[in-house]
Amino acid sequence: MHSLMQSLQHYPKPQSNEVVRTVALMGTFVTIHVVGHVGGDMAGREGETETAQRERAVDRALDWFYKIEECCTRFEASSEVMRLATQVAVPVPVSTILFEAVQFALAVAEATEGAFDPTVGYAMESLGFNREYRTGQTIRTTLDSSASVSYRDVRLDAEGQTITLLRPLILDLGAVAKGLAVDLAARELQSFANFAINAGGDLYLGGCSPSGEPWSIGIRHPRNDGELIDSVRVSNRAICTSGDYEKRANDEQGHHIRDPRTGSSANAVASVTVIALTAMLADALATAAFVLGPSDGIQLFHRLGVDGLIISPTLELYATRGFREYH
Amino acid sequence: MDKSTLLLAAIILAVFGASVAAGHPHWGTFTGIAIILLAAGLGAGTLPLRSQDFVEERTSPTQRISNGLITLSSAAIVAIYAAGYHRTSPAAHRFDSQIPQQRTSATIAIATPPPAANPGSSAAPPVSSSASSAAPAIKKNTKRPSAPSRKAAPSSASDSAGSPSPASATNPPIEAAAPPAGAAKSAYKDGVYLGWGSCRHGDIEASVTIQDGKIALVAISQCLTRYSCGWIAPKIPGAGLPDLPSQVVERQGPKVDYVSGATESSYAFADAVVAALSKATE
Repeated sequence: MHSLMQSLQHYPKPQSNEVVRTVALMGTFVTIHVVGHVGGDMAGREGETETAQRERAVDRALDWFYKIEECCTRFEASSEVMRLATQVAVPVPVSTILFEAVQFALAVAEATEGAFDPTVGYAMESLGFNREYRTGQTIRTTLDSSASVSYRDVRLDAEGQTITLLRPLILDLGAVAKGLAVDLAARELQSFANFAINAGGDLYLGGCSPSGEPWSIGIRHPRNDGELIDSVRVSNRAICTSGDYEKRANDEQGHHIRDPRTGSSANAVASVTVIALTAMLADALATAAFVLGPSDGIQLFHRLGVDGLIISPTLELYATRGFREYH
Repeated sequence: MDKSTLLLAAIILAVFGASVAAGHPHWGTFTGIAIILLAAGLGAGTLPLRSQDFVEERTSPTQRISNGLITLSSAAIVAIYAAGYHRTSPAAHRFDSQIPQQRTSATIAIATPPPAANPGSSAAPPVSSSASSAAPAIKKNTKRPSAPSRKAAPSSASDSAGSPSPASATNPPIEAAAPPAGAAKSAYKDGVYLGWGSCRHGDIEASVTIQDGKIALVAISQCLTRYSCGWIAPKIPGAGLPDLPSQVVERQGPKVDYVSGATESSYAFADAVVAALSKATE
């Protein structure tokens, strides 16, 4: 959800046979880069060059972003997740995308004991995070939400693929949806060994960069714009960084990550980077760590088997034991 | 040996050692002490075992959560990809109509097979057909043994690989009935079904046996990958290695774990199962 600036270092100029495309999506820029030479033995379809194949695959990969955004955006009253918000206490049949996204979000909420909570949607909207990035239109939902809500107010039924909201609430799937789109795009591109997907801070790096080495990813300095504080080398992993320097509310001091348990902005952390097998997991845990703070955040990473780096507002670095191995 | 038996033996040995030490004041003291020490060692050996068990008990729940989240996120990706990728088309503005359509047509499919599902209809792409990397699989599709109860359409429909949108546009009912998410909820028809999945490393054919409407047996019937399928389906089950076929039976659906080091093969396997299951629901 949160964009952050991670730069692909040594980002090469596209060579004639590789595909690099950037599209504005999900409130950020999505860049997909399929490296020119394919290591595998791709049997080409009749009359189709490898580059054309790559172009098509990139089309399909980007389609996942559109699909997931359509389904999960909080900024469109007609999106599936917003239509869900209008129905309380009844099981609503939903698409596979929405069901899986919510199921995962609730599992993370459970595992982090509410430090991550997808039911903060209405609170976020009320705080001024309510503007559609393309049209600039704001959304205002009227909900009778006098009582505080939590992830425990959402029930899932896998059998009928339905979601039941026990109270009026809006699901904020931002942290999950963008990661999910990155993961699906990566799945779409898996036949090309070497590729990179960058959706404003949620990255998936397949194989190697054009230099033949694992992808080198810079982690932005949370205070000095345009400067990197660290860099890592990753291959076949997702990496996600969240910073307090992103997305401030319109009418208030405070950034976009709130402690679901108190409602105020989480202030113990300047930026969090997580490396995991899926971008969905990396993004959700980065958000959770933001709320938990450096030491509890690192503990969470160790417990859940991911690696990460947390930077405090005073620029102290906290890393998991395995994080060093990515240098 | 049982730990309590071991502890008991240690106590007996200790008592014996003490009696030896007491009964033979000259040389027996040393022997006795030696026996007591032995007993102590034996006894101590049982104790750390217990504390280790305790540690294991304590760590396993978090382990479960961790594996659970990683598994859940990859399972979600497999589920969505399988449910949606044969519908992937440039037009992304269909979501509103998609959900009700999927629901109703799934019900229709269970009650009475839609007319479009008749043999001869070439627009019934099996889920495997639109895999982006399906090119090598297409050739094999034609020679794969087709289940007797199934129509021949899927193999010819594989031509639509890569351009599934026309098929899905002209034939929404079948398309909508095919997603495994919906399929998992409907009863499967008994029989043995085969399906192909492919990845960069080659192709995998899965056979799915349906008995009493449930997934009774899943196996990899052909493994044409460059690497052994032993990574995802060990020859000797229960050795702690990932066993994706058993997962399909356990979970009654194609949601399998992501196997680190054999990611693509596991995806190909999941695709193969989806393809097979889509035939079982036609």
